[in-house]
Amino acid sequence: MKLPLRRVEGKELELNLSLLLFITILVVATAAWIVNPRFMRIGNLINILQQISVLGIVACGVGMLLISGQIDISVGNQVSLMGIVMALIIERGGRIPPDAANAWMIQWSIPFAVIVTFVLGAVLGTVTGLVVIKSRAHSFIVTLALGSVYRGLALLISRGGSFTLHGRFTLLGRTRIMGFLPVSIIFLAFVVLLTTVLLKYTRYGRFLYSIGGNRKAAYVSGIKTTAVTMRGFITVGLLNALAALILISRVGTALAGTADAYSLDALAAVVVGGVAITGGKGTALSLFLGVLLIGIVGNALVVMNVNPHLRGILIGLIIIGSVTFSGLSEHKSRT
Amino acid sequence: MGTDTVLRAESIVKNYPGVQALKSVDFDLLRGEVHALVGQNGAGKTTLVEIIAGSVPLDSGTIYVEGVKCDFLDPARSIELGIQTVHQENQLVEDITVAENILLYDLPRTSYRLFSLRSCIRAADQLLQQLGIDVKPGARVSSLTFVEKKLISIAKAFSRQAKILILDEPTASLDSNGKQALFSLIRRYSALGLSTIYISHHLNEIFEISDSVTVFKDGVRVSTRRTAETDVNTVIPEMIGRSSQSLYVRDKTARQTLAERSLLEVVDFHREGTVDHVSFSIRAGEIFGIAGLVGAGRTELAQLIFGVDQRESGSLLLDGKEITPRTPFDAVDKGIGFLTEDRKDSGLVLIQPVYENITLVRLVKEIKARIRSFLNPTRERSAAETVVKQLDIKTPTVLQKVINLSGGNQQKVVLGKWLFAGSQIIIFDEPTVGVDVGSKSEIYRLIESLANDGKFIIIISSDNPELVAVCDRIGVMRTGRLCAELEGNQITEENIVNHSLGLASAGKEEST
Ligand SMILES: Nc1ncnc2c1ncn2[C@@H]1O[C@H](COP(=O)(O)OP(=O)(O)OP(=O)(O)O)[C@@H](O)[C@H]1O
Ligand SMILES: [Mg+2]
Repeated sequence: MKLPLRRVEGKELELNLSLLLFITILVVATAAWIVNPRFMRIGNLINILQQISVLGIVACGVGMLLISGQIDISVGNQVSLMGIVMALIIERGGRIPPDAANAWMIQWSIPFAVIVTFVLGAVLGTVTGLVVIKSRAHSFIVTLALGSVYRGLALLISRGGSFTLHGRFTLLGRTRIMGFLPVSIIFLAFVVLLTTVLLKYTRYGRFLYSIGGNRKAAYVSGIKTTAVTMRGFITVGLLNALAALILISRVGTALAGTADAYSLDALAAVVVGGVAITGGKGTALSLFLGVLLIGIVGNALVVMNVNPHLRGILIGLIIIGSVTFSGLSEHKSRT
Repeated sequence: MGTDTVLRAESIVKNYPGVQALKSVDFDLLRGEVHALVGQNGAGKTTLVEIIAGSVPLDSGTIYVEGVKCDFLDPARSIELGIQTVHQENQLVEDITVAENILLYDLPRTSYRLFSLRSCIRAADQLLQQLGIDVKPGARVSSLTFVEKKLISIAKAFSRQAKILILDEPTASLDSNGKQALFSLIRRYSALGLSTIYISHHLNEIFEISDSVTVFKDGVRVSTRRTAETDVNTVIPEMIGRSSQSLYVRDKTARQTLAERSLLEVVDFHREGTVDHVSFSIRAGEIFGIAGLVGAGRTELAQLIFGVDQRESGSLLLDGKEITPRTPFDAVDKGIGFLTEDRKDSGLVLIQPVYENITLVRLVKEIKARIRSFLNPTRERSAAETVVKQLDIKTPTVLQKVINLSGGNQQKVVLGKWLFAGSQIIIFDEPTVGVDVGSKSEIYRLIESLANDGKFIIIISSDNPELVAVCDRIGVMRTGRLCAELEGNQITEENIVNHSLGLASAGKEEST
């Protein structure tokens, strides 16, 4: 069989996947636009970006990690747990009567919550990384287990209930600069840019690809493989912290399971974005397009007034389509 | 078609993006013959045999096996037709036992049609003993060394009665014992009327074992001759397009002034069961060879020195100053390089482009040197292009993924990585496995010029002529010990073999 998609150079292949994703996004957008012209309104497009900002930030971490050959399916649980902790702090802070002796804490509860969230993100990333490295088990299994632990912790802390921000701390999730551009989109753009630079223009990025492509060869070439892996997990933890802040700020309440779905959604986005599940392959651009596609499908269904439960089915089909494309274009006769 | 043509390939064409691997090749294999294929790296040898083995689809052309046209060849079909293959790259299943790998196509079953590992191991054990291969059939393949894997691939090919045996560089890094054992097997099978296709870059092997020899160049069959009616001086020019006069000969006479140069001491490296208190020393500018049979502990020694494996004792002294590396990172940082013997396992990132593989170690060093951490792809590519030219690596561009290169060209990429990493001390473990005759000379020249620049070079090789040609001194290892050091006119293939087998009393420096 002749494979029309075959290319000699890795570059061309990546471009092609990006192109395919881009075309798919255009097709979905056009369909939605035809059914409901409101889809193309600038307001709705900004909405979409705002909606995907959390997913995008989480997926960037997961994507970089997966390129280095490690998988993390506890990210959703991490975000949930951090959301609970931060909402708890802010809620407690808000309950202090304004005339109490410790009223100054009302002001400080928000920055305190932000700091705690980031520290917690670093801690969770470190813990995951350490367990993966020390247990020598596959990170899929390790993060499956740790995800369960994090979910349990979140439930314990929240006692099954929820915490509410009562309208405080809306900066990250709801504020719009000049009443127009949501702050969360700026953070998304920043993270995507950072990922692009890291993956494409830094040695650290190159090491991620090398380790994902052949860990042993990378090790013998003098790369500190465990240190790079550790950094990868910590990066994921920190990005999850940012995601948690944005998400809870937007939603206003935190439940123990608020963000659990991001575990698989992020992985789906990353895989649609062409990162090989075996590591070593993928670019920041197609990663972002993967996130965008998944975000647009959800929004388009709502705007087109189609049953939103179709979303799951569509996303499943998109994943299959994307990996089939990568499989075909990467098809090689040598194993 | 004569009745004694077992296999005929007619106008086979195979194109890869940017490369014409085979340009309408005809090939006949006669009954009972050993037919050698020779040619430069990337000439198309592997592509042809992989097509016959059914693992690579052809673009056009026809294959006849015993006069019957075979469409839709795939590996299973090819095995049914009686074709057994030892692939150039090991294709074993890493996570199951040796026995299961060997008998993968017809695993023995109990009377209840259930799989029985025990009977499988028993059958494999019998075969391995018959073939004289000393590997435990119950061991996991992933725990084997490179050469052991090679031996298991060979055993696998011999596990089934075949009509046609394809051996694609079977002797790569096999020692002289292993080679002789393989040759006697091949002879036994040709006496039974079995035909063999034999690919190797060692022309002495070709002239020892083959009945006819076909030369490939750039995807074209140049000639086919009876081996008896030709010789090296005819074959080499056909292969490389120039005469063998320009092949490498080292001038060792000018090497008298080493005494004042700085000294690298390898002191008392030891790890129970593999390496037994090995010590030796090298002067800057010297090329030190390590010879020995497979299993003598040479690779293990290199791994201890480089910090890949934990050692029980051992230190590395440069002019008396301790520089023993703790990890490979530390080693690279201290200016030590280590070209590993198994390129697929630990040498290359196969899915990355040629240039990223070549510059990898450089990047590691620059990080340590606190050079800004951004990449400079243009500079990287042009550096890689220089390497590609110098080593004559056959690839459409430096952006090609390494997995798409021929075996020998992949080897050159690993060599390129370490030759140009700027290390002060370099350990080469089987540096020229799978590299063609012409390129070998170029590589030896490069290694020599590194030595002339005052680097310390250690070469581990099972290719004794290579050691004799290149090294100033040679240490011979046997069962984990360095049992002899040869220099000057003691350096002969015969001496090396005798010492590695433990037959020699001749060596003056026998340190028992
Ligand atoms: N999967 C592939 N994709 C692209 N090019 C390929 C692929 N496989 C082989 N080639 C090219 O086809 C040519 C012939 O390769 P082949 O492996 O047959 O060479 P060879 O004669 O076996 O060389 P060697 O002695 O190095 O093993 C080479 O130039 C190689 O780069
Ligand atoms: Mg080959």
